[in-house]
Amino acid sequence: MKNILLKLLALFMVLSFTTASANEAHVTEGTAKSSTHKEETYKTKPFMEMIGGFLESTGVSALINPSPDELSATGEKMSDFHKSGGRIIMILVTFFLFWLAIKKGFEPLLLLPIAFGGLLANIPIAGIAGPHGFLGVIYQMGLSNELFPIIIFMGVGAMTDFGPLLSNPKTALLGGAAQFGIFGTLVGAVILSQMGFVDFTLQQASAISIIGGADGPTSIFIATKLSPELLGAIAVASYSYMAMVPIIQPPIMKALTTEKERKMKMSTLRHVSRLEKLIFPIMVLTLAILVLPESTPLIGAFMFGNFLKESGVVERLNDTLQNALINITTIFLGLGVGSKLAADQFLVPETMFIMVLGIIAFSVGTAAGVLMAKFMNLFPGHKINPLIGSAGVSAVPMAARVSNKVGMEYDRTNMLLMHAMGPNVAGVIGSAVAAGVLISLFS
Amino acid sequence: METNLVLEGFKFMGLGMGTVFLFLIVMIFSMNIMSWAIHKFFPEPQANAAPTASAAPQEDNKKIIAAITAAIKYHREG
Repeated sequence: MKNILLKLLALFMVLSFTTASANEAHVTEGTAKSSTHKEETYKTKPFMEMIGGFLESTGVSALINPSPDELSATGEKMSDFHKSGGRIIMILVTFFLFWLAIKKGFEPLLLLPIAFGGLLANIPIAGIAGPHGFLGVIYQMGLSNELFPIIIFMGVGAMTDFGPLLSNPKTALLGGAAQFGIFGTLVGAVILSQMGFVDFTLQQASAISIIGGADGPTSIFIATKLSPELLGAIAVASYSYMAMVPIIQPPIMKALTTEKERKMKMSTLRHVSRLEKLIFPIMVLTLAILVLPESTPLIGAFMFGNFLKESGVVERLNDTLQNALINITTIFLGLGVGSKLAADQFLVPETMFIMVLGIIAFSVGTAAGVLMAKFMNLFPGHKINPLIGSAGVSAVPMAARVSNKVGMEYDRTNMLLMHAMGPNVAGVIGSAVAAGVLISLFS
Repeated sequence: METNLVLEGFKFMGLGMGTVFLFLIVMIFSMNIMSWAIHKFFPEPQANAAPTASAAPQEDNKKIIAAITAAIKYHREG
C-alpha cells in the first residue's frame, strides 16, 4: 500500500514536472515570436550574403564604386569623380603636404595638422568632415564663427615686441605699402574673372587677395567670413607661401635695389622705455576704435596679448597665451581647415587660380615695400635700407630674417634684423586694418 | 554690369590703401607724440638710479676678486 502510494506520488511529480517544462517551453516560444516581431531590422542572412554586404561597406568598394546617395560635408550632391578618383588624388596631395612639412620644413606647425585633417576629410563613408564627424564639429566650434584665428592672434600679440617699431616709427609706412599686395591681387582676381577664365565674386576675390597680407590667421578669418567654400585653398596657399618667403622674396629684393643701397647701414635703434611699450597697444586699439571698428576683433585680440606681455604682472597668462593656448588652438585650427580639403571643395578650377594669385600677391607686396623704402629715401631724414621694405609683408619673423640675410650677403657687418622687425610688426597691423576695410565693405 | 567689377576692384584698392596709410600715418604721429610726452614727463629713473645701485656691488666685486686671487694663489702654491 505504502509502495503504491509512493509510486503514485512519483508519477504525479514526473507528470507535473513535464507539463511545467512544456508550459515553460511554450512561454519561451511565445517570447521568441514576439521578439522577432520587435526586431525586424536584423534578418538572418546566409553567410555569403553577409560577406557580400560587408564588402560593399569597405573603403575599396566605396572608392571604386561610390554610392549614388552619399552627400558631401555641406550636404550637397557630389559628382562621381569627387567621390572616387578625386579622393584618391586629395589623399596623395595630403601626402605631398606631409613631405613639404616634414622634409622641407614648410610651416610644419600648421601644415601638418591641415594635411592630416585633409587626409581624414577624404575618407569615404565615415563622414569625418560632415556635420556629425569630429572634424565637422571642430569646424563648427571655432572656424565657422572665426574664433580660432582670433585666439591665435592673441598668442601672436603676446609674442610680438613693438620696441623696434617704437624706436623708428616711420618704418610703419613700409608695412602699409606691402598691403598693396592685397589690393593689387584683388584687382587681379576681378580682372581674371572679367576675362572669363574663372568666376570669382567680389567676396571671393577679396578673400583670395588677403593672402597677400602674408598673415595666416587674418587669411583664415577673412576667408571664413567672406567665402568659406574657398577656405581650404586659401589657407593652404597662405601657409605654404609664407613658408616660401625665403625663396620668393630675395630675387625681387635684389632686382629692385642697387648694390650700394643694399650695403646701406642704418643708425642704431634708440632705447624704448617700458611705459611706451605699455601704452602702445592701448593707443593703437584706440585708433582702431576711432577709425575702423571693423578691424577691432583682430587688432583688439592682438593688442590684448601684447598688453598682457608688456604689463609684466601676469607672467602666467602671458606664458599660457604664448605656449599652451596657441598650441592647442593651432591643432584645432589646422584640423578644422583640413576639413575643407575634401575633394569636392578643393579639386575645383578655382584652386589653381588661388595658388597663382597667391604668389602674385606675395610678390607684389614685397615689391611695394621695397619701392616704398626707396621713395621714402627721397625725403630728408634718416635713410632706410630698402631691403627692410620687403619685411612689410607680415610673415613674422620670417620676412625680417630674410631682409637680414640678404643684407648680410653684401656686408657681413650689416645687421638689419631689428630694423626689419619694425615694418614687420607694422605689416601685421596693416593687414588687420586692410582686413577690417574688406569686412566693412561687405557688411 | 560686367565692366563694373574691375572698377569696383580699383575702388576697393583706393579705399583700402587709403585707410591703411591713413591709419599708419596717424599711428606714427601718435607714437611720436607719445614718446615725446613720456620722455618729457615720465623720464626713466635709470640715470639717477644707476650710481647708487652700482656702488655697493662694485665693493662686493672687489671682495670677490680678492677672494678669487687668493684662492688661485693658494691652489698654485699648494
